[in-house]
Amino acid sequence: MNHRLVQWIWHVKGSLALPPGQTSDEAFARLDPLFRETGTTRQRDGSRLRFRKRDQAAQDRMAVFDGGELRVERGVGAPVLRYHLTSRALLFCFLAPLMFLAVARLTVIVGEYNKPTPAEIAAKEKREEAKAALPMSPIDAFLGAPAPEKPKKKDPKSKDDDDKPRPTAAYVFAGIFSVLYLVGRIGQARLVRRLFTTRLSAH
Amino acid sequence: MDGVRVGKRVIGAQSPVTVGWENIPKVEGGPMRLFFFTWFQPTMLFALIAFWYYAPNSIAKASTAVGIGIAFKILLLGLEWLAPRHESWRLTWKELTVDLFYVSLGYTVLRLIEGFIGSDAVIEAVQTSFDWQKLAWFIGLPLLLQAFLISFVFDFGQYWMHRGMHNWYPLWVTHAPHHYITQLNVNKGAVGNPVELFLIGLGIGGLFDFLPRAALLAGSLGLAVGTYQHINVRFNSPRWWRFLFNTTEHHSVHHSRDFEASRSNYASTWVVIDRMFGTCVDGEAELLGMEGGRPMSIRETMVYPFADGWRTLKERLGRRSVMPAE
Repeated sequence: MNHRLVQWIWHVKGSLALPPGQTSDEAFARLDPLFRETGTTRQRDGSRLRFRKRDQAAQDRMAVFDGGELRVERGVGAPVLRYHLTSRALLFCFLAPLMFLAVARLTVIVGEYNKPTPAEIAAKEKREEAKAALPMSPIDAFLGAPAPEKPKKKDPKSKDDDDKPRPTAAYVFAGIFSVLYLVGRIGQARLVRRLFTTRLSAH
Repeated sequence: MDGVRVGKRVIGAQSPVTVGWENIPKVEGGPMRLFFFTWFQPTMLFALIAFWYYAPNSIAKASTAVGIGIAFKILLLGLEWLAPRHESWRLTWKELTVDLFYVSLGYTVLRLIEGFIGSDAVIEAVQTSFDWQKLAWFIGLPLLLQAFLISFVFDFGQYWMHRGMHNWYPLWVTHAPHHYITQLNVNKGAVGNPVELFLIGLGIGGLFDFLPRAALLAGSLGLAVGTYQHINVRFNSPRWWRFLFNTTEHHSVHHSRDFEASRSNYASTWVVIDRMFGTCVDGEAELLGMEGGRPMSIRETMVYPFADGWRTLKERLGRRSVMPAE
């Protein structure tokens, strides 16, 4: 598989032209507050800045990234800021659907091996029936609440088992995390680009 | 910081906590906004109670409750987005994703395990082995009374489990990760170590047998009251609501970085239980968390009870071994 395609999962790369006349020193000075957050360490080496983030605060504007490198390079017209950021959050979010698909499979297997015995089913049905046979409180009858329904006799041949663990939730969460990943991968890349652009061009 | 004396305790000496309802800000804005944020909570509660009380048997099912629960939480997430209580608690993509990860564990892996060793298994075992006819009197009670008792008795058990967690180290290590959250959002109630979620879910409510409709009514109390423990929205909750029920304000005090403040407001739904036992502090806090607000990663949350427990055990054993022989 294409290495760059695999990297795209949790690496965010981009570039943007510096405003006319802005030097790399000025650019990094403008971006500096972003790397002064709690848990962030940074290292400046000429026209290159490397940073690491650990235990990022929730409201850190770059909380989704754990590290990366920013470089100012000579562009066609004006100098260009190139950035390469990495995010474990994006990687985990990408892998989460696979985990939930595995959980769904496990749920099905557990359900197969843990079927209730006929005696257990009969005891439960007996309990439910007896419960439904009880007289309703006169207060509830007066207020018009529906009376408890007698449970329907279950067809012993029916393959449906109400108590069997179902994989539905795991499938739903696999879907939710897939959507979250796409929203995050596209949205966070745009947000960080907008953040850099705003910082660099702020008066 | 001086703090404020509440009974025998000084609240807010280590981190800012606003004490007293009269000092808590109210919702500001036009009449429509004030009307909405004043009446939203009671309206939703009574609407849910009326729904579950009168819904036909074909609708009054657990699957409907799951659907309503999800729809209600989406509505509250929308309110958080439109009218955040604190900008410093604003939900980000990363916070939402992490919160949903913990929520998803509750719906999938934990539910699977609970069927074998958790409250589901306990309820099943008790109800199967016990002659339920002896508890039939409970089923004959009016539905709303049954629902209240289920909710209150369960919360009573949860109160003591929660209080125990704040007072006994072996239980505390399971609960500590939940206290590393630095902001309150709708899904933050699910954030924590799975061992804690399992322990807090163990309730004595399972010892009763009750009508399914009563359980659904009790669940609606949890949904329409308990959910507000963790939410980034300000409501003008009515005085009676604040007296009876846990609110975001109460729970923010519980999550405060102030040690004494965090040892209050243990109940999940019925804060009146805290009032009964002298642990209620009416107030609010914005700065939340532990260790100065250090967030805890998912990995650390998962291993914390075992890692910290092992570290503490080694320290204790080490201390004992260096004690001079007498």
